[in-house]
Amino acid sequence: MSLLEIRDLEAGYGAVQVLWRVALRVDPGEIVTVIGNNGAGKTTTMLAVTGLVPPWRGEIAFDGRTVHGLEPPDIAGLGLALVPQGRRLFGAMSVEENLLMGAYLRRDRGVEATLRRVYEILPRLRERRRQLAGTLSGGEQQMCAIGRALMARPKLLCVDELSFGLAPRVTDEMLDVLVVIRAEGTSVLLVEQDVELALAVADRGYVMEGGRVVLAGTAAELYDDPGVRTAYLGL
Amino acid sequence: MDFWLQIVANGLLLGGVYALSAVAFSLEWGVLNIVNLAHGSFIMLGAYLTWMLFTSPLRVDPLLSAPVDFALLGGLGFLMQRLLLNRVMRGQFFLTLLLTFGIDQVLVNTGILLWTADPRAVTPAYSSRSLALGALTIPYTRLAVLAVAVGITVALASFMRHTRLGRAINATGMDLDAASLMGVRLPVVFALTMGLGCGLAGLAGAFYSLNFPFSPQIGGDLTLRAFVVTCLGGLGNMYGPLLGGLALGMVESVASVVVGSGAVDATAFVILVLILALRPQGLGGRAVA
Ligand SMILES: Nc1ncnc2c1ncn2[C@@H]1O[C@H](COP(=O)(O)OP(=O)(O)O)[C@@H](O)[C@H]1O
Ligand SMILES: [Mg+2]
Repeated sequence: MSLLEIRDLEAGYGAVQVLWRVALRVDPGEIVTVIGNNGAGKTTTMLAVTGLVPPWRGEIAFDGRTVHGLEPPDIAGLGLALVPQGRRLFGAMSVEENLLMGAYLRRDRGVEATLRRVYEILPRLRERRRQLAGTLSGGEQQMCAIGRALMARPKLLCVDELSFGLAPRVTDEMLDVLVVIRAEGTSVLLVEQDVELALAVADRGYVMEGGRVVLAGTAAELYDDPGVRTAYLGL
Repeated sequence: MDFWLQIVANGLLLGGVYALSAVAFSLEWGVLNIVNLAHGSFIMLGAYLTWMLFTSPLRVDPLLSAPVDFALLGGLGFLMQRLLLNRVMRGQFFLTLLLTFGIDQVLVNTGILLWTADPRAVTPAYSSRSLALGALTIPYTRLAVLAVAVGITVALASFMRHTRLGRAINATGMDLDAASLMGVRLPVVFALTMGLGCGLAGLAGAFYSLNFPFSPQIGGDLTLRAFVVTCLGGLGNMYGPLLGGLALGMVESVASVVVGSGAVDATAFVILVLILALRPQGLGGRAVA
């Protein structure tokens, strides 16, 4: 059974429709990437999945339940975390307070252990833990945003624009983190501008254009697709 | 020298009053983005509750009724947010301004109906006593206000950092969508924040009643002062209201001697404008994006 299954999703802003019959799925243990130019509808898809943009039509099922029309806190509670475009950290809070906000819905005693684990995976955050998140460098902010999402121990981590504004070395580091957390049982839905990097870590991928999914396949298939090679890989 | 020391002491003590009445206003503005025009009237209600309990056969001491004021007005504030203000939270800023203005009118007029417009005062035996510190005279009731203002500020700052609810309130004030992604139920946190704010206003009312005579119309002036103090101290800093309150108290105390009591308000506002021209984020405000 799929972890996330989207069928015929349509959504938009105000009266303007942005998504048209979008279908995609993420199976347990997978890293799935969504490729597409600016304005293709990648962010809107992620926002619809997390409940921040109400879906108009179609179905979104997560972990066997329909999440269509639920509020963001309910969806988060099912084990779906988003690293939003632009990070959206709580700038006037310390790094550690940001991380604790990520565990807001957890009532178990394992929060301390998860915090230690996040500091292991992202050691820079431990060094910076008393610093205000708004004063971090771009790379550190992305680490903090990922760490915050991981604090919820999500089943699915959605990451919107992982490498935006990051140095290549930091991007590699972040991609390694995704591989590590996948090995620990968290699936990943990744939106990434650098298609080459995205396809290198992903199992499967989707290509979006004009609010529609126009192509789907394994990472290898997409990499070899002539259209993808010219439009997104510049080959 | 002694004279000026007394003026400074008076300024600090008056600043305590301003700080205590601005803490809640600043919290509501900072977190909910609501400039609560009914804020001063919640202080007024706190003062009247204290007065009713004090003049009842039980003769409840104002210090004991302060927690009662907190609870009752906190409950009222929670309901006001839940039933009315939550409906317009994502709307225009102007709507909440209009709504709280209307609520303020209702509270003032209800106050006049219930208690008439005659001034009242709460005067337990200790209200006229003072601490003599060398040549300084420090009324106990004023000292109590300053101590409570500092205590509440520190407690609130600690609550916001170290508790789950406090962090949720803080996060909500910074980014609604991000807080909601973390699992924060915004309507509930909005109502709890307003409840906390109105509760603190009620508590400030208990201490106000110990220090000043009051009528149902005191709210407007208190709201205005809280607004000034919040701008002075800076939004987004938990210690802002304390800083701003002490600054305003000091300015008014000194101005009352230098320019005479008739021009105190004008002087205070001129200084406010000057300070904000130099530091638009306020004395304690952060310039963080
Ligand atoms: N808040 C918004 N209000 C109105 N239109 C929006 C909003 N956000 C995005 N759009 C529009 O929706 C379309 C898809 O945008 P988006 O989902 O952000 O694409 P992507 O993430 O792939 O760049 C674009 O045409 C964009 O202009
Ligand atoms: Mg986007």
